[in-house]
Amino acid sequence: MIKVSHVSKSFSHGKNAVNDLSFEVQPGETLVLLGTSGCGKTTTLRMINRLLIPDTGDIFIGDKNINTETPETLRRSMGYVLQNTGLFPHYTVLENIAVVPQLLGWDKTRIHSRALAILEKLRLPPATYGDVYPQQLSGGQQQRVGLARALAADPPILLMDEPFGALDPLTRISVRKEFKLLDELNSKTIILVTHDVEEAFELGNRICIMNEGRIQQLGSATELLFNPANDFVRHFLDKQRLELELKSLRLRDIWPYLDSAGGSTGTALPPDTSCWDTLEHLTGNKAGSILDGQNKHLDGNILITAINAYKKTVSQYGHA
Amino acid sequence: MDTPETFIDFVRQQSGKLLEQTLTHTGLTFISVLIAVCIGVPAGILISRRKKLAGPVLGITGVLQTIPSIALLGFMIPLLGIGPKPAIVALFLYALLPVVRNTYTGILGVDPNITEAATGMGMNTRQLLLKVQLPLAMPVILAGIRTATVINVGVATLAAYIAAGGLGEFIFGGIALNNTNMMLAGAIPAALLAILFDWALSRLQRVNMRKARKIALVLPVILVLLSSFYLLPETYSSRLKAGFTPEFMGRKDGAVGLRNVYGLQLRTLVISDMIMYKAAYEKKLDVISGSSTDGRVKAFDLIVLKDDKHIFPPYYAAPVVRQAVLDKYPELAPALDQLSGTINDSIMTELNYRVDYLQQNPQQVARDFLVSAGLWQPARNGSKGNIRIGAKIFGDGYILANMYKMLIEGHTDLSATTKTGLGGTKIVFDALVNDQIDMYPEYTGTGLLVILQAPQTTVDSIIGDNRKVYDYVKKGFAEKYQVQWLQPIGFNNTYALMMRREQATRLHISSISDLATYVHHH
Repeated sequence: MIKVSHVSKSFSHGKNAVNDLSFEVQPGETLVLLGTSGCGKTTTLRMINRLLIPDTGDIFIGDKNINTETPETLRRSMGYVLQNTGLFPHYTVLENIAVVPQLLGWDKTRIHSRALAILEKLRLPPATYGDVYPQQLSGGQQQRVGLARALAADPPILLMDEPFGALDPLTRISVRKEFKLLDELNSKTIILVTHDVEEAFELGNRICIMNEGRIQQLGSATELLFNPANDFVRHFLDKQRLELELKSLRLRDIWPYLDSAGGSTGTALPPDTSCWDTLEHLTGNKAGSILDGQNKHLDGNILITAINAYKKTVSQYGHA
Repeated sequence: MDTPETFIDFVRQQSGKLLEQTLTHTGLTFISVLIAVCIGVPAGILISRRKKLAGPVLGITGVLQTIPSIALLGFMIPLLGIGPKPAIVALFLYALLPVVRNTYTGILGVDPNITEAATGMGMNTRQLLLKVQLPLAMPVILAGIRTATVINVGVATLAAYIAAGGLGEFIFGGIALNNTNMMLAGAIPAALLAILFDWALSRLQRVNMRKARKIALVLPVILVLLSSFYLLPETYSSRLKAGFTPEFMGRKDGAVGLRNVYGLQLRTLVISDMIMYKAAYEKKLDVISGSSTDGRVKAFDLIVLKDDKHIFPPYYAAPVVRQAVLDKYPELAPALDQLSGTINDSIMTELNYRVDYLQQNPQQVARDFLVSAGLWQPARNGSKGNIRIGAKIFGDGYILANMYKMLIEGHTDLSATTKTGLGGTKIVFDALVNDQIDMYPEYTGTGLLVILQAPQTTVDSIIGDNRKVYDYVKKGFAEKYQVQWLQPIGFNNTYALMMRREQATRLHISSISDLATYVHHH
């Protein structure tokens, strides 16, 4: 869906540069660009909607080089969400949401019904929130309006630049949860920029770790965790390693390493449950899991042993 | 002078004129602000996009702002003549800086997140400007327009100096005539206009965001409407155009007398005496109210129309000296009186011409004259005492003060110092009475009307006779102030109507009566 090919960009001030960057994003996939500030992740994002022009290299949407369209047409086909929302303070919530449909020349009734529908979906009842100005909303609500505005014209692609960065930690977690559950986003191809490792692992189908303008590693959560391409990636994730590992691994992943003795008497957890959630459930509860007709008993020790066994195998053979 | 009793009386009597001046004033202010908005806002937008231009553009508009208003108006005369055109251009230049600067800072002040979001959503530069930048910069731009408007209400008073009308006519007339009511009748409405417009625009500035977009539409309409006030006057016209000073306009021995005694009905503009002569020379005006011995009469080849019905009081110049000084130094009076009878109107005009127009040193001019009249002697020792000679800021005074200094030093053992540039009559006379100076040259008419403020009946009975006026002031000054009038010098620096020599000859006009007849028939 999106293909970035050998793209480089440098600035006179020396920071935020990007060096020979190549990656592809599949339709419907969420790719997270993860890295510290100045690593070039935002630069990469801004080149995709032509807010910046690469020095060399090409970017394609579908099969089309983005240079073949005017920047305005290109941008109207992509949702764009910014850290500080960038909502227009002189427009009401509904007017803010209507901006892109208006630029696309939709008729008024269509714009209105679409704006109402998207507000409903984001749990902002239009009767209460439609005619207020952004300043009157809380940070989390503003962020949701920003998302609604980006989704208003139902663009196939969504670019998100630190979308939850300005929120306090609690709000951030709840907005993120909502974000994951939003069916409006299921079919979208999303590129999301963040410096928050936890966020990256929670939202990304694949994660692209960047440093000093280069891709360090691009892969799934488990690939990054258990098969880091270099020391940078390993150290980058070290601080939250245990939590990330538990959250990334599912019962299905460690199934072969679970002690098969004895059936379970407690709740049967689905095989896609993460180890983190399983551990949480096990505090005070009995549990088991069933996969392919096999019923396995779970407790803390069994789980940790299985995870260690999984990690050993993966680091030896490169895959489970 | 029949000054009305109270301010209210004055306003009531002059209400028609006051309304006309207020409308003109409003029109002048807003027509220039309107042009400033039309040019300043696009300029501000341009420099917000091309930052390299910002420095020079803001610099130039800033420099324009620092030019003194009256000087800026002066610069406009050679380019655009007199009347509304130069006034509007000058006011426009003053209004430009606040409008350009506030547009520029307003647009740059828009949160970059918001402009980035707008661009990222696919707005082109025009949509970005109209939908985002201008609406968000509107409060700041309005603040600039507000500043420009208030500045212009103030500066527009000066438009009266170049015949563009407005409340300045009353203000400067009032100052010149020492008529407080007239001054206030111009100043109070001007202040009220400034407060009113400031308040109205501040209201616009504070309305909420939704209405901000409507303001952008309504404001131009309001500006155009207010500007159109300027087109209301200019109803009647004669073929000859007159330009009178604000002082002359209000005086009984000025425009009022011309109308009552001669029945003269001219299309009249109010104008500063600084530019009046030049305007006449450049055919912007046909008849002006000059001063008969002004050097520019000669410089611009104007002729003085004969005052055949004697409405202008005699303004014969003579030295006035404190009696105490005359008593102390008896040789002083004879020395000064040597000048009596030596200078007539045309000689004084010639001397003024050399100082004002040829830029010669007044000291040199004075010396040359004394030498040619055989009165010059080298200075003696000057050990006996010192005489302080004052003079008003006007032309005659400088030259006469220098002549007196030379006469005193050449013909007595006294020394003398000159203190020229003592403002108007009031300042120099106060200096004399309070022993700051010992003598200065004064005019009989001024002594009669301004200093002694003789009752109207007395004035009417003696005004036609030069000798009687002199005797009256001599007596009055001696009794009231212990100040002595010495012998008149000989010239009469009075008001006069003047025309270009060529035009007056062609139309066979040599007196004010001729002029009145001509105007009546054409």
